[in-house]
Amino acid sequence: MRSIRQPSVLPGFALTFGFTTFFLSTIVLIPLAALVLMTASMHWQEFLHVVLSPRALGSYRLSFGASMLAATINLVFGFIIAWTLVRYEFPGRKLIDALIDMPFALPTAVSGIALTSVFAENGWIGSYLHTLGIKVAYTWVGVTVALTLIGLPFAVRSVQPALLEVQRDLEDAAETLGAGWFYVFRRIILPTVLPALLTGFTLAFARAVGEYGSVIFIAGNLPMKTEITPLLIVIRLEEFDYKGAAALGFVMLVISFVVLLTINMLQAWGRRRIVAVSH
Amino acid sequence: MSITLDQVTKRYQGVPVVNDVSLDIGDGEFFVLLGPSGSGKSTLLRAIAGLAGVDHGRISLHGRDVTHVAARERGVGLVFQNYALFRHMTVADNIEFALRVRRMRAKDRRKRRQELLRLVALEGMDQRLPAQLSGGQQQRVAVARALAHNPEVLLLDEPFGALDAKIREELRRTIRQVQRELGITTVLVTHDQEEAFALADRIGVMNLGRLLEMGRPHELYTRPATRFVATFLGAANLILARQTRDGIRFGQASVAASASMPGLFHADREHEVVAVVRPEEIEIAPARDRLASSYLTQGEVQELLFTGALERIRIRIDEGAEGAGISSDGSGSALLEATRTQHEQRAFRIRPGQQVIVGVRRIHVLPTPLSSFTACAPTDGLARALLHEPLLAELALRMKTRISTRVEPRLGMPGANGEAQAAFAGTTVIASHADAVFQVEWLLQRGAEEILILPRDTASPQRVLIHWTDPALRRATLAVSASILRHLSAEALYVDILPEQTPVAQRSHGMRALLDARSEAQAVHGLEMRTELHFGEVSGELSRRLAELPGQMLILGIRESSALAAPLGPLFSSGRWPVLIVHRQHEGAAEPAGS
Repeated sequence: MRSIRQPSVLPGFALTFGFTTFFLSTIVLIPLAALVLMTASMHWQEFLHVVLSPRALGSYRLSFGASMLAATINLVFGFIIAWTLVRYEFPGRKLIDALIDMPFALPTAVSGIALTSVFAENGWIGSYLHTLGIKVAYTWVGVTVALTLIGLPFAVRSVQPALLEVQRDLEDAAETLGAGWFYVFRRIILPTVLPALLTGFTLAFARAVGEYGSVIFIAGNLPMKTEITPLLIVIRLEEFDYKGAAALGFVMLVISFVVLLTINMLQAWGRRRIVAVSH
Repeated sequence: MSITLDQVTKRYQGVPVVNDVSLDIGDGEFFVLLGPSGSGKSTLLRAIAGLAGVDHGRISLHGRDVTHVAARERGVGLVFQNYALFRHMTVADNIEFALRVRRMRAKDRRKRRQELLRLVALEGMDQRLPAQLSGGQQQRVAVARALAHNPEVLLLDEPFGALDAKIREELRRTIRQVQRELGITTVLVTHDQEEAFALADRIGVMNLGRLLEMGRPHELYTRPATRFVATFLGAANLILARQTRDGIRFGQASVAASASMPGLFHADREHEVVAVVRPEEIEIAPARDRLASSYLTQGEVQELLFTGALERIRIRIDEGAEGAGISSDGSGSALLEATRTQHEQRAFRIRPGQQVIVGVRRIHVLPTPLSSFTACAPTDGLARALLHEPLLAELALRMKTRISTRVEPRLGMPGANGEAQAAFAGTTVIASHADAVFQVEWLLQRGAEEILILPRDTASPQRVLIHWTDPALRRATLAVSASILRHLSAEALYVDILPEQTPVAQRSHGMRALLDARSEAQAVHGLEMRTELHFGEVSGELSRRLAELPGQMLILGIRESSALAAPLGPLFSSGRWPVLIVHRQHEGAAEPAGS
């Protein structure tokens, strides 16, 4: 028991643990359990038929593929943006810093409409891309753009504090020891901010998988091609096929859980290498 | 020479943080850069390491000009205050970092690592992570890491700053030992004078971006040339005194210049000087005939503090009858700091409130030409108003000197030169206004040697113009200018003016004079000074140059005391720039050299 009940500043382990369980149960566990129960009431064959239908498989591929891609894009560009904001002093820095959070505040439907109008074939950017033969709106590319937009704040905000902690001295030390900038980046900066980068990636990914509002405007929603799983679930619901919707939801739940767990474990492993093993 | 800095200047947003530093550090020397925070010492170290570029000047390492060479190619090892260890790497990986970058083979790396760990007494710690080590151990790793690639120069930036006293001393010893063993040229930056004394072969003291003085620790401690160094290197009583042909006078007491008081110099003219008396050079006795040293004054014990080996005493002293008095800290309070050993305490026990006789064993006179400031005006109110002038207040504060007031109802009025007056000592300060020129003449006739004319609300100048009307005044004017510029972060510009109709053949003499002035400023005072040659009439040319930009000040050396009004008057009454007049009537050979 000693290892569970650590003494703490806040009193009442029993009380706080009780609250934790209560909240987790009402808000997360019980609804999820209901989902699982609903699914469990299906026949095995019926279940497989729903979740392995070509339309469902196509939507998984788009949902998770585009989310993975968007999170990866955010990982790279989020890092660059965070780096710029942390390391450089320039006019308008505060403004840009505030702009990062806009996708948080905007109703997702609004960003979806905005993106669609800009990237449509007759939109500001879309018309130029169209002449180059690139179609964005109503393709999987558009889905990725939307998911990148809504995930960006997560990536930037996770990396920013970690970058603040990378002391300039570390880079200076490495430089006097003979390291070039790429070596410094690879061996000093990256390992230090890796856990934060992974967190940002995870959050952006998780947000993208669950995203609905902004995507349905830009996606075009062609079955098998540009239809995301959340939309498919909504369609099933509108057909009053609750079980089918629940089955698809269950699949999303399992895949998301596996991905998040993997990243978390990666992170824990990374952190253990940095912080002392035995204190 | 291992490290040579030649007129290195580094600016941040136009303000020089390292101002014209020239320095030679020998092979295997342990050099300590000492200064308060913000003095530019860390920036200078970073410039040597190549982490900060310089705006002007040259840096050479072992004869190789590295001014524009990147840090990673300079071959220096740098140790930081906060260790800057790579926390995700083991001790071994940290130490081998530089070797890995250089693609050394694993076997050789391991061998080198073992050597280094032995050197810093951390054998067997190879596989630890930095977080598993104490602060002192982490800094040892940092030292080992900085030495791994056999750098030609080891640079340490406040390496003990984050450690507690005991560890600090231990690590200090290790670093000194390692430095001796390797014979590596080392520069350490610190604000702690005790640390500097303990480690340094030579110390360089920095303040306001300037390297004020350099020397061996003992030399700097006993014979500082500037107020700043005198007070920064341990406690010091700064005392205003009069230097005469046969010694130093404090009030009524005269301390003979004798062999027992090295550092005194003779002068052929009597003038006010700043004397340094270290607390441990003060003797306290119950009566004058019990004093083993020279009598200084008497006073009342104000405070006694037992600090273990030493007893610290503050003595409130009687102001001298002449009013020249003694000032210990510039606040105007007349307190003397003294320390006594156990042995001295046993010989004569004292308690607070007791009257004692104070003697001095050793006095050092600063070779600075500026001693105290006296605000002088026809009424008390006007004199007091001068005290609040920002430039004067700033100078007095930085110079840790005293400002007093003096009321002269007849200041600037003609005639009535007969009555005997107290001499004008130090720098006399007057306000700038239409009649300033008459006041200047009046003061010059009464022997004032330095006169500062202040317009209202003058801020610290960015540029100081220097000019003398007679070549014989060069030395005195430069000495005063150097002294002023040590306390202000301004640039110096010497302006020489030849008459318009100077024949072309003689114009080269003007150029010679410029070069002479410049080299004397550099060689004697370490002052970097730009020069300009103008043709025309003195007052007009100077006024024109001063009016060009705000934030300028004029330092003017003059010889004659009468018939001044006509040619130079407009300079004093403009009300737009401060003027410091340096007046020497018979400039002799005994003017203090050195800065």
